[in-house]
Amino acid sequence: MTDPILSVEGLSIDYEVGAGTFHALRDVSFEMLPGRVLGIVGETGCGKSTLGHSIPRLLPEPPAKVRHGKIVFQGVDLLEVPKWRFPMVRGTEIGMIFQEPINSLDPAYRIYNQVAEAVRVRRLRDAGQVPVFAKGPQPFDYSTGPRPKVADAVAHPFLPSAPQAIGQGSEGPSALAPMPLKAEVLEYLRLVRINDPETVLRLYPHELSGGMRQRIMIAMALSEKPSLLVADEPTSALDVTIQAQVLTLMKELLEEVRTSILFISHDLGVIAEIADDVGVMYAGHLVELGPVADVFERPRHPYTKALLRSIPNRYQDDGPLPTLTGSVPNLSRLPPGCSFAPRCPLARDVCAADPGPALATPLERPRARVNAASCFFSREAEALP
Amino acid sequence: MSEPTPIVETRDLVKHFPIPRPLRDAVRGIPSRAIHAIDGVSVAVRPGETLGLIGESGSGKTTLGWLIARLYPPTSGRIVFDGEDITALRGRALRTWHRHVQMVFQDPLGSLDSRLRVWQIVGEPLLAQEHLHSSELRARVAELLPTVGLPHDCLDQYPHEFSGGGRQRISLARALSVQPKLIVLDEPTSALDVAVQAQILNRLVELQRERRFAYLLITHNVAAVRFVAHRVAVLYLGELVEVGAVRDVLERPVHPYTKALLAAVPVPDVRRRRARYRISGEIPTLIAPPPGCRFAARCPFAVDRCQIEPPRLREIPGHAGRLVACHRAEEVADISPETLIGPVAETPRPTAGRSPAAG
Repeated sequence: MTDPILSVEGLSIDYEVGAGTFHALRDVSFEMLPGRVLGIVGETGCGKSTLGHSIPRLLPEPPAKVRHGKIVFQGVDLLEVPKWRFPMVRGTEIGMIFQEPINSLDPAYRIYNQVAEAVRVRRLRDAGQVPVFAKGPQPFDYSTGPRPKVADAVAHPFLPSAPQAIGQGSEGPSALAPMPLKAEVLEYLRLVRINDPETVLRLYPHELSGGMRQRIMIAMALSEKPSLLVADEPTSALDVTIQAQVLTLMKELLEEVRTSILFISHDLGVIAEIADDVGVMYAGHLVELGPVADVFERPRHPYTKALLRSIPNRYQDDGPLPTLTGSVPNLSRLPPGCSFAPRCPLARDVCAADPGPALATPLERPRARVNAASCFFSREAEALP
Repeated sequence: MSEPTPIVETRDLVKHFPIPRPLRDAVRGIPSRAIHAIDGVSVAVRPGETLGLIGESGSGKTTLGWLIARLYPPTSGRIVFDGEDITALRGRALRTWHRHVQMVFQDPLGSLDSRLRVWQIVGEPLLAQEHLHSSELRARVAELLPTVGLPHDCLDQYPHEFSGGGRQRISLARALSVQPKLIVLDEPTSALDVAVQAQILNRLVELQRERRFAYLLITHNVAAVRFVAHRVAVLYLGELVEVGAVRDVLERPVHPYTKALLAAVPVPDVRRRRARYRISGEIPTLIAPPPGCRFAARCPFAVDRCQIEPPRLREIPGHAGRLVACHRAEEVADISPETLIGPVAETPRPTAGRSPAAG
């Protein structure tokens, strides 16, 4: 049996702001297997971006506060790792792609410098000069050696400041040799199908189109060969034809560079396109989880069913679109039971008191390969129109 | 033609946005350049119908909507509203005319003044047209709110107190307040979640059936167009490429670009998962558009003629009421959009029960 690359156990995150405490994530548990794509889908405010940002520990704390839970990545609980070690891990072990590529690229640097930085960090990691979250003894660990001075850490966030950590060893010609670096950067730009990469290298981010920028982001994320890639709405800012190109590219790259992807999107169509497994979120809960074909064809949670049904797919003369009554509950005053109960056609007394059965992850039942829903009446939900 | 007079019609409408040139270039006599946002568009919206205008960003669809609502003056061409030429309308006459055309914008928060209450926002167009006492105005607005699905008692609330769907309803109520003949909907549901989007789209259709006004629905969302529109116009780089009835265009697209656009829309159906998308390249620049067909650079069916000679919008035999701008329309008409998508190639992926190959 394969070990999961990431397992999130009972993660609950609150935002504490003046207006009250907002429960953004409540008791979310899932596992990700190496080389598979897990899609997370849900409406605005359901907590999917909070989940995506919590894994590389990018949430601003405060206001965010992790109530309880574990994020176990390659056997290490990320929530117990000191935060100052994260800059060396983000990118090298956990890659990220966000919605607006223009916000993720530095406007003051040329494309070459930005992609080269990613490649350089990867080489440092491969040369064992950056602490990683691998099991077993680490090549160099700040917690055992001298801690870097704050000023050094700011100036060289990726280089250990202790000189013996770099110079010693057998590497001979430095891992930062400039010539092959450019060749490698060009190779990654070609990998993401950028025409005329030699020219693109000299451009600044604002000179590129949205699709090009997002491909640069993908090139940077892939060049670091992360074992986990968190993609938060990576195609939502793009036009459909460009989105189709980027999705096609990501699928082709999945075969070349084996990595696991946590793919967050509000677009059920995009998830159907790229994901192997899908998790559906509602008001901070993961309400359904399973292989994408099962969840989309035989949804077992009334919310998933309603969400799939409300996608407009008919003409005006075919009658009105099915809609959900009510609205998403306020995250600061969630009902004690199932948060979907007030809008649910199947809700009974028990739903108002109990949040529903916990999800068994597909890993626990590898043979069954069916989707699980956090609902007492999933059999009835399956039979809903 | 026996068709009813269109509520609004554009004739060879052109809109160029000049790019400011540095003084150095002006002195040397280098001509200033312009972004060709709309180049010779002739389109009509009939009374009581919805014309869906689809295209990608940069295709000029919003510019066309703003031109029709006379928020921009056109560079050349004419706009005829209800039989009257409004191209040159200015000042007071333009303001009075604006009661016939109202707009709903994409960003519901950005288009509502955050310091005004609901009754002030919704009543603003009324106030621009008539002199009303505030108590009268409140009464008129209170009547209007239930028609868009808002409660009576939210008159004194501020926009930030509403969800995205609620704000879009306020925008809609504001557009309805002066009983316009045409409402320009600029991406009305793009900022909304699917569940809320369905509610708003239903409301739009019901309102149109009750009140018989026309919509110009500008969107990149093919699903919204399918449900709301009667006819569709597809725009690419400032030019119309295909116009026709919604069912015909979406089910039997003729123009290669329409096919490419429809093939790119992701469908929430795992069985229709595609291996690869065969259209490559990006939208070319609008500053110096290519001389021939503007889609030729990305078109899988392009021949030499497409690079040189711009195609005219023309009727295609076998497709009644359809206008297509493509030299090879007859040849490509029957090619299915699915051919632009590669076959489903199931790639071996590790599954839960099986350990992946080492390495």
